Amino acid sequence: MTPRTVRAVWILTLSGTVLWLGAILLAPWLAGRGASGAARFFYAVFAPVCHQIPGRCFALDGYPLAVCGRCLGIYAGFAAGLLLYPLVRGFSRIALPPVRLFLLLVLPMAVDGAAGVLGLWKSPVGLRFATGFVWGTVLPFYFVTGFADLVRARRDRALEKAAPTK
Amino acid sequence: MPVQKPEYLRPALIAGVVAGLLSGLPFIGAANCICCLWIVGGAAIAAKLLAANTAGALTMGDGAIVGALTGIVAAVADSLVSIPLKPFSMDLARRVLDKAAELGGEMPAGLDEIVAGSSGFTSPGWFLIGLFLTAAVFTVMGALGGIIGVSLFGRKALPPSPPPASAIPPSTGPGPSDAA
Repeated sequence: MTPRTVRAVWILTLSGTVLWLGAILLAPWLAGRGASGAARFFYAVFAPVCHQIPGRCFALDGYPLAVCGRCLGIYAGFAAGLLLYPLVRGFSRIALPPVRLFLLLVLPMAVDGAAGVLGLWKSPVGLRFATGFVWGTVLPFYFVTGFADLVRARRDRALEKAAPTK
Repeated sequence: MPVQKPEYLRPALIAGVVAGLLSGLPFIGAANCICCLWIVGGAAIAAKLLAANTAGALTMGDGAIVGALTGIVAAVADSLVSIPLKPFSMDLARRVLDKAAELGGEMPAGLDEIVAGSSGFTSPGWFLIGLFLTAAVFTVMGALGGIIGVSLFGRKALPPSPPPASAIPPSTGPGPSDAA
């Protein structure tokens, strides 16, 4: 796999992540400026992926963000992981993270989430954000690697088809 | 030797329908708040099903494809399940906001309308826009789940490779050339 392919996937993913995080902030920003129609649209975009309970969201201008603290943590962690990607993995080496690391990083969020569901404790938004952030950092190492591999496979298949048959 | 192409559709349909149904249900669907848990988990299960039905080891690209397909199927199932539950979802959203106001959180003017309203778009046009947005989000999340699924379930032990020719002891019996 060429480093160029991985770099292109990385840049596209980074652009998408910046837009995604921007849209999360845009919903309350618009609501705070009285643009309730546009704000409703952005809240609706995130409704399928988050419960949006105001008490579990950070607020901007007095309005809750479009996702809860944990979801925001996951997306912010994803962005942080993306920024770390070139330093940790580089663009020329392709490998998925070890399963043990994945399980280790999902553990804080799983424990916090399970305890919340079982009523053992009620986490503050900050803790929800932190546990989500920790898990989110590992996700781009799957996402970028997987999509770069997909692009490579499709390119190889196209080259095979284009090659003259003997 | 031609490489067997994985059959993506069947595992994606099975896992996608289940993940979509769970996502569309009130309360249970809230688990999607943890990075689309049902979708990521469903896509990982789809990768496991795909691995079980494929002879060779799966690539990460295979995981991305089956995961993305799972996300699309789940979006359709989720949207269809949500239609009859829409009034209940709106009522639930309003009750959550009322409860938050009771607990002392001061709600800005119009928040009730905005947040409850965002889950209550009922026209066919909004249904299609909602389906498109859900499909877009679930496709990306599903692809992620599929890749994670391949890393967890998709690797298979390779069959033991034959020993190198120099390691094979010389045959003591007559070979084909000896018999001639």
